[in-house]
Amino acid sequence: MRRSFFIVSLPALTLALFSSVAEAQEPQTRAEEKRREREEKSRALTPPKQGGLEKALKDLESGRLFERILNPAEGLYPKIGHITTGSGFSLGPGYRHAGLFGGQATFSTFAAASFTQYWAIDARLQFPQLAAGRVFLDVHAQRYDFPDEDFFGLGPDSVRQNFVEYGLTNTVIGASAAFRPRRLVFNAALEYLDPKINAQTEPGRVFSIFTPDQMPGALVQPDFLRYEGGVEFNTRTPRGNPRRGGRYAVNVERFEDLDMDQFAFNRVELDLQQYVPFVHDRRVLALHGLVSFSDADAGAEVPFYLQRTLGGPDDLRGFRIFRFRDKHALLLQGEYRWEIFTAVDGAIFYDAGKVASRAEDINFEDLEHNYGIGFRFGTINGTFLRIEGAFGSRDGKHFILRFHNVF
Amino acid sequence: MQDAKCKMQKAVGWMPSPFLHFEFCILNYRFTYRHSKTLWCVFALITLAATGRSASPAYFPDDPIQADDDKAFDAGKAVEIEGSNAYDFTEHTFIKPGERRDIRALNVNTIDEVPDSMWFTNRIGRRDMSIDEIVRGPNTGPTPSFEDWPVVQGKSTGITPGYRIVDPTGRLYQVKLDPPSNPEMPSGAEVIGAAIYHAVGYHIVQGWAVDVDPARITIDPKATTVDMRGRKRQMSRDDVDAILSRGARLPNGKYRATLSRFADGKPLGYFKYYGTRPDDPNDIHPHEHRRELRGSRVFAAWVNHDDSRGINSLDMLEGEPGRQYIRHYIFDFGSIMGSGSTMPQAQRAGNEYILEWKPALKTLATFGGYVRPWILVDYWEGAKSVGRFEGDFFDPVEWRPEYPNPAFDNMRPDDAFWAARLVSKFSNEAIRAIVGKAQYSEAGAAEHIATTLIKRRDKVVRTWLTGVNPLVDPRLEADGTLTFENAAVTAGVASAPSSYVVTWSAFDNATGTPSGQGQEMTVQQPRAAAPSGLLSNASFVRIAVKTAHADYPAWNAPVSFTFRKADNRWQIVGLDRTVAAGVQVNRP
Repeated sequence: MRRSFFIVSLPALTLALFSSVAEAQEPQTRAEEKRREREEKSRALTPPKQGGLEKALKDLESGRLFERILNPAEGLYPKIGHITTGSGFSLGPGYRHAGLFGGQATFSTFAAASFTQYWAIDARLQFPQLAAGRVFLDVHAQRYDFPDEDFFGLGPDSVRQNFVEYGLTNTVIGASAAFRPRRLVFNAALEYLDPKINAQTEPGRVFSIFTPDQMPGALVQPDFLRYEGGVEFNTRTPRGNPRRGGRYAVNVERFEDLDMDQFAFNRVELDLQQYVPFVHDRRVLALHGLVSFSDADAGAEVPFYLQRTLGGPDDLRGFRIFRFRDKHALLLQGEYRWEIFTAVDGAIFYDAGKVASRAEDINFEDLEHNYGIGFRFGTINGTFLRIEGAFGSRDGKHFILRFHNVF
Repeated sequence: MQDAKCKMQKAVGWMPSPFLHFEFCILNYRFTYRHSKTLWCVFALITLAATGRSASPAYFPDDPIQADDDKAFDAGKAVEIEGSNAYDFTEHTFIKPGERRDIRALNVNTIDEVPDSMWFTNRIGRRDMSIDEIVRGPNTGPTPSFEDWPVVQGKSTGITPGYRIVDPTGRLYQVKLDPPSNPEMPSGAEVIGAAIYHAVGYHIVQGWAVDVDPARITIDPKATTVDMRGRKRQMSRDDVDAILSRGARLPNGKYRATLSRFADGKPLGYFKYYGTRPDDPNDIHPHEHRRELRGSRVFAAWVNHDDSRGINSLDMLEGEPGRQYIRHYIFDFGSIMGSGSTMPQAQRAGNEYILEWKPALKTLATFGGYVRPWILVDYWEGAKSVGRFEGDFFDPVEWRPEYPNPAFDNMRPDDAFWAARLVSKFSNEAIRAIVGKAQYSEAGAAEHIATTLIKRRDKVVRTWLTGVNPLVDPRLEADGTLTFENAAVTAGVASAPSSYVVTWSAFDNATGTPSGQGQEMTVQQPRAAAPSGLLSNASFVRIAVKTAHADYPAWNAPVSFTFRKADNRWQIVGLDRTVAAGVQVNRP
């Protein structure tokens, strides 16, 4: 019993003693209470810690790394993207030097290659802000090799099973200028072209399906001089991701055959865009119409590799790239776009179009068509990602991933 | 044995019950009934020890504290925190940091007010401010003669173009240009926001709306700028001209801008709206539970400060080495009201988070058939300096910042009430005078902004001053007369209630509970006489008041006033505002 009493009493006495001490330590004022809390914290101070993601994002922002790496105003940078439609992902070094000619000019150059063995070299000197931003001048030179360009035959009745590939290399040297009084833009360009066709990408395959007559320009390719003039009236707002207004452009080109007088031709194109907003610009009906007429000189032909094409992620989206090709083309596109939230728009679209060898066949009969749905990611300054599914064509279903808007 | 347990529980009922239960269970386990004498002896010792021990009283002698000494310990080891906009958005949108808990704000004093601190200085809430004082805001003097101060640096952060200059004493200032599309818009918003937030009580840097004469700009030979490759280099006149080309040029050839004076001390980056700074010994209250940060949701809603986030705050280390402390600033008001800094405010701003799943999914699923109501709002377009600012569609409860803010999310009706009461102190005249500070030159601009601020103020006050029993300023005279004020009635946003039910009790400060039976009475006016005899023997008295109003059932939740007798006078030491269940003042 005594032992038990001792065992139990000991902690009780300890508690009593502790309580007395605690009483002496109880704060007597509110200020003292807070002071003790702070005193306790002061004994365990640590520097603020940032996680890896936070550090990375901070460095990206403060160092403008995205801008400096992907699209710097000056210096070396990786040229990432795609070289041309169908080239696939490409990569290469780029270089830009600003501030030339008293700060008026920028020199830029890049070399890029894709995993599908497309490559391009490009160099240009640009004067983007002459005459208080109203005049733009550009001098450029390009060399490219597109080894696997798709060809299905000419005309609206081309057959998908006839698909072949050809190679196209080209050297382009030229200059362009634009004059921008307010919303009007007058543009002109002059280029020297040296295209070369490699129809032997798949030896025997191209000419086992198509005769040289069905591929004008497949056997011989002259050098060209290309003249261009056009005018554009642009009321789209915002420019990067339009919600209202329109763009109305007419363009005239002359391709002068410098070697053999067999392939000279003229081309006229009318390109119209109209954006009809509703629900305070949060819903947009976007309309696009393009009509292109190419008229060869007497006795000449329009080479197949310079003909207008339809099919692919930017026009007839339910068809393969370059699925239709001929001298004349008509494209009609309509999209209903709705803003899902700040950075994402949805779109339901319908595309229709045709190619024809005769201008009088450019009408609304027998149009190829497709429909689809997609999403666009970006801001009012532009679309950086477009994901779409196109259906309803005679060419099957197509999934589209692009890094720019459709029109 | 069960009896003994019950008696023990009663006897030591003040002790924390888990402690009691734990101790008892140990004893109960070891000792059987035949040991009960021993047990009682031990219990007696424990009780003796416990009664001799004094817990903290409900009210200390210095309650209610008017100032919290958060300069007490040296914060000289604090280091700078650099923020990331992208991370801040990601963290608050997807991770939702901070503690979301429905508890009373942790930094309020015993009368439910915010003590002065390095976070907040009571101004319009504690004393009358003249209109001149409100308009002057944080500025200690008139617009400086800055025209000839040399440029020393390009502005390296943010989206607005600008540069930095130094005065003859070497103090740094920043010049931020208005956008060409909307002259006077962000600079006007900046000075209006600064004046309002300063009058409320926040620490704000000094700033002025100014016109910059390009001909008088000089460049320090050592001035530097950072080029697009991130390289620091000497700044030239071309650099300044490039900056000016992105600014709003006025008809007189000058550029409209905001001139801001850098705050005193060493910059330590920004504060977060949750947690505490681990390197600041004085920062002991989690920020999401600070009244002035929770309540700033009310001010943000009023002036549409949708950019109210940690990144737009500033911590500055002040004081002498060994006695340094951190002052916390709120800054960058250039994107409040109808201003989005470089463009008019987005329609979404204040109405929806940047990323809010529910409306987005509804819009997606219906192919745009569902239209968010705010999309259809028509804005006044009479002046470019206004941007998009309106007060008809504005709903204080539905208002939102750019993305979730932990302190805003924790705002309770009592926090909102505290803030709304401060908002109610801004008279129409004061608001018009503040707007005048922006010197809008376009016809109708000042009138539209002032009218809209007044309209939004009325909505804020009507919404948040009525969410709790709005009794304030209690007084208990020596003769036993209790008076108090109904803040909602005073502000003109509610009719007088039908009655007040007043319950008087003596109060035991040691235990923190009323003692004896409460004595209840019903009065029609905010005035009541103490029951005879109650006050004469009490050193503390607690008076709980319920307000009966058919339109505001939440007012039936009592407000308790606790008075302490000192020098034969009654001093208010406690104000506890019960928050009624189901009152929604916040929809995060």
